[in-house]
Amino acid sequence: MTSPSLELDLLLSIDIQLCFEKFNLTIQQDLSLRGITGVFGHSGSGKSTLLRAIAGLEKGVDGTIVLNNANLIDSKTCSFVKAEHRNIGLVFQDSRLFPHLNVLDNLKFAAKRCPNRRLNFNEIIKLTELDSLLQKHVDELSGGQKQRVALARAILAEPKLLLLDEPLSALDRQAKTSLLKLMLNIQNELQLPMLYVSHSLDELQQVCDKLLVLSQGKVIGYDGIHPMIHQLNHAQTYDFIHQQTSLSLPIKTLNNGHGLATLTLNEHDEIYLPALEENSTDETLRCFILASDISISLTEPINSSIVNHLSAKISTISTMKNKVLITAHCAKGNGEQEFFINISAFSQQKLALMTKQRVYLQFKASAVRTYLY
Amino acid sequence: MMTPDLLALFTTLKMAALTTIILLVIGTPLAWYLAKMQSRFKVIIEAIVALPLVLPPTVLGFYLLIAFSPQHLPGQLWQQATGHQLAFSFSAIVIGSVLYSMPFVVQPLQKAFEQLGEPLLEAGAMLGANAMDRFFNIVLPITKASFITAASLGFAHTVGEFGVILMIGGNIPGETRVLSIALFDHVEAFDYAKAHVLAVSLLAGSMVLLASIYLLNSPRRKTIERIGK
Repeated sequence: MTSPSLELDLLLSIDIQLCFEKFNLTIQQDLSLRGITGVFGHSGSGKSTLLRAIAGLEKGVDGTIVLNNANLIDSKTCSFVKAEHRNIGLVFQDSRLFPHLNVLDNLKFAAKRCPNRRLNFNEIIKLTELDSLLQKHVDELSGGQKQRVALARAILAEPKLLLLDEPLSALDRQAKTSLLKLMLNIQNELQLPMLYVSHSLDELQQVCDKLLVLSQGKVIGYDGIHPMIHQLNHAQTYDFIHQQTSLSLPIKTLNNGHGLATLTLNEHDEIYLPALEENSTDETLRCFILASDISISLTEPINSSIVNHLSAKISTISTMKNKVLITAHCAKGNGEQEFFINISAFSQQKLALMTKQRVYLQFKASAVRTYLY
Repeated sequence: MMTPDLLALFTTLKMAALTTIILLVIGTPLAWYLAKMQSRFKVIIEAIVALPLVLPPTVLGFYLLIAFSPQHLPGQLWQQATGHQLAFSFSAIVIGSVLYSMPFVVQPLQKAFEQLGEPLLEAGAMLGANAMDRFFNIVLPITKASFITAASLGFAHTVGEFGVILMIGGNIPGETRVLSIALFDHVEAFDYAKAHVLAVSLLAGSMVLLASIYLLNSPRRKTIERIGK
């Protein structure tokens, strides 16, 4: 594969306003793009519109968008770089493959228009596993195959930034998993910065390094993936996300012989989860544990079928309606990890839980969720 | 030496071919702008384009005759530019045909462009294709069938024109005497045998042309093409 370009972050600074009849988008945010940056928000939050504005497909944008010191839009000076001159790629939700061309010609369409080709056409086909589909007509492809072609086509145009607009939302779970893995592979091989819009936090949690969160046309947060998700746990809007502990942990064993894998939490604690694929070469695993899947015990539950029990210290207790959100730290040695736990107000009273109290968190192996296995 | 009817056939084909080419050149951008246009003037332009569908050809012919006469500005300008009179010339019947057959070319193209919409054009732009590139490499191949339909309908309709040509072209052999006029002449002279020959050939020619359009656009053919690939 071609040598990765200079390892400098791509700086995207956005200061725009877009007014529609029923909806306003006001974004002021500097993004330092490296790896995969997620854009999360519910329907109508403006995330796709933001992506289209960056791509140059949205007319009537007020303000400025600057990519690495180059103005893409500046409404004051009426400068607007056309979409075809921005060197930005976009994978749409609905693939948008050209129906009059077969798979190979769709890919060639992109490669031919790339002014300074650095990527090897055949290596990209190999990377995206499209060898056997090249002569197929686009109507003959499954949803997952179409998106793989769309992804390969976008890469072959060799953009400096790749935008992905809900690329998985029309796919089944299996196709989603394989496409997410492909995105990670591409990221590893090509170091192409990606901005990935989705309303599915599960997908974003698996692949993103950073997360930008939008709500009702405004930015409500931008941070590393785990801290951002943990901030969203405290969101005042009820059910903004499924409250969860988001983790990246080193894999210790893929299968301990009893159908369980183990992750290293810190020098003393391990987390058990269902066994992972034996051929996996990953060293760390992205996973999450829903706050509703963790329970609290005052004594160590050693006589339980539940395999994970961790000693932790309660740091905060907040009550919302009849639900209580507890944060607790497993703080042994240098690896301190925050966990989020949902219990009922009834249980909280029964156990008389207080901050700084030492408790045991317990959760089943199957409560440790991951999307890619 | 060509017989008068063969000369009329030649004039007809020349007129129809030229009209079709002109219509494709000006009708394509017009159809494109109508398909993309959102202004309220859109309906007015659409109505003007569609007018020949409902207007008696003699009405259009009458106003064109007046406009083309040396007493009026369009006719004067033409005469100054070319040194020839516009009314009763081959150019006059081509201009008349362009106006008269306009809806047959513009409407199928406009519909095709509307159906195509923005999605594939946006995809093209994101791959670095500029507007011209997108038109020739995305729009044109995908709407090819509509272009064939538009060109064939424009051509066939021009061949079958009578009223407008009679008004502005008259009946000058080799210049403005086309098949439909020649047929009318034969009937007026009670030469039914010759009239039959022309009538049957116009009927058969139109039939063959229309059948080929429908065959070309039929779903069955598309399936066969697909399997062939």
